[in-house]
Amino acid sequence: MMTFIHSFQSEWLKTKRSLAFWMVVIGGFFTPSIVIAARLFHYDKLQQIYSSDDFWNLLWKNSWESMALFFLPLGAILSTSLITQIEYKNNTWKQLHTLPLSFTTIFFAKLAVIVVLMLEFFALFNLGIYLSALVPYLLVSGTPYPAQPLPYMFFLQENALYFLDCLPIVALQYLISLKFKNFLVPVGLGFVFWVAALGALSWKYGYIIPYTYGMFNYLKDATQTRAVVPDVNVHLLAIGYFAIITAISYFLYITKKEKG
Amino acid sequence: MEPFLTHRRKLLLRRAITTDDKYILETRNLVHSFSENEVVLDDINLRVEQGSIYGFLGPNGAGKTTTLRLVLGLLKKQRGSIRVFGQKFDDNRVEILGRIGSLIESPSIYGHLTATENLKLLQKIYQCPKARIAEVLELVGLANTGKKKAGQFSLGMKQRLSIAIALLHSPTLLILDEPTNGLDPNGIIEIRELLRRLNGEHGITIVISSHLLSEIDKLVSHIGIINKGQMIFQGTLDDLKQKQQQSLSVVFETSDEAVTRALFVRSSLNASFKDGKFSMPALPKEQIARINRELVDGGVEVFEISVIKNDLETIFIDMVRD
Repeated sequence: MMTFIHSFQSEWLKTKRSLAFWMVVIGGFFTPSIVIAARLFHYDKLQQIYSSDDFWNLLWKNSWESMALFFLPLGAILSTSLITQIEYKNNTWKQLHTLPLSFTTIFFAKLAVIVVLMLEFFALFNLGIYLSALVPYLLVSGTPYPAQPLPYMFFLQENALYFLDCLPIVALQYLISLKFKNFLVPVGLGFVFWVAALGALSWKYGYIIPYTYGMFNYLKDATQTRAVVPDVNVHLLAIGYFAIITAISYFLYITKKEKG
Repeated sequence: MEPFLTHRRKLLLRRAITTDDKYILETRNLVHSFSENEVVLDDINLRVEQGSIYGFLGPNGAGKTTTLRLVLGLLKKQRGSIRVFGQKFDDNRVEILGRIGSLIESPSIYGHLTATENLKLLQKIYQCPKARIAEVLELVGLANTGKKKAGQFSLGMKQRLSIAIALLHSPTLLILDEPTNGLDPNGIIEIRELLRRLNGEHGITIVISSHLLSEIDKLVSHIGIINKGQMIFQGTLDDLKQKQQQSLSVVFETSDEAVTRALFVRSSLNASFKDGKFSMPALPKEQIARINRELVDGGVEVFEISVIKNDLETIFIDMVRD
């Protein structure tokens, strides 16, 4: 266990100043920044918005619209691919594979770093959402503090579901990016899967594409949508896909003939 | 009690390894091919003695890097066996790698991190004292690189940092594949001195590959020469020098090729003729004098009699050319 923790710490240090790190920071604050800008631009409507009994739920829904459909899947695709790309770009797989670590430790420590980066992405996004409520309130005089109490439990529950939903994307992108040295392959394939997922939202079997789950989670309460939200529990499917794809990925990784 | 026993057993094992085994690294009948028709390594029996500096020589593409990658487990072994520290590599990979420092081909460093950060992430794995980071940076002359990212280093600096990485955990065995690539002459000398010191003062066994004998002949105690995937020489530097003795040749330049050749045939001398000169393996000086006398008595003018002493590099080149 200690070996795994040391390996994780080592992997985490590699993300310092890396593109994946900046992706997470920028991605987490992007939508909240747009929300803040839009609200400051339409400052005359702030009093009405902040007085709403449904303030936090509406803010949550607005913030997650672009996140669930675009930034979360694309963020997962890019950050996962960028993490493995650190080794390819620096020609360091051979260095990593000559360390006194089992291949299992290396595989799961790297995956754990990606998962924690995703958690960081969620944490920053949530902080961003809170700031997008707070900043207009502080900057525009006369804006009341939101009338609705902050629904912590709802936020936590939804975060957990979105997080589960993005895990199959992480697993599949991890598999592809371990397999291909060229960065364009995992990113290109990820983009193709994402477009396919968008196209499959209105298909009754769209849920077989693992990139759709976050989108379906967002659209589950939508009234005006062409998407066919499936009756199946997509979150369980997400966990199943994640476990199966990770198992395949692990098998392919440890049986790889050339390790750097 | 059990953890103590396990620890004690490990200590005993380690002691046994370091005292009983002559070879710290040994491969037996190592065969490797990347495709069915292309055998890259054919029956390689590498034997590195403990405490030695083993020069692994061969031209580019001879199989040096493939051998070293197999030894480090970077390539999946196909046939043969690898033993390091007296243990089978396949069964003890993690333990063995914990005592090896390596540098394979081009530098392996994280360009977006500083030299210290590069070492810090490895210090986490090796769990060696943090003070080692400053020590090894000092050792390779990179102590003052500060916040400069490793990606901005010159190739020579990157190579030094790679060597620092290989030394971080005070390994017992150092495997360096062409470590002087990209270094200027001064840098090569410094690295050579450093390796000599590591071997002499710290008893670290070093395997160093190169395609130039002249680059390492002043450093190594043992030499292995590989060509086209086959080991064509393995032994001490003295063994190679012995071969050098054997490769001395005598050259005759005369005014009459036909008469000279007839004399050599009569004397059962195996001479070859090239560029107007006869050349043959070294002869006793009395025999050289007799041949000279017979040539002069036969009316042939002798312009030159000389002994050619091949240097080690020439012998190496001759070996890999055959």
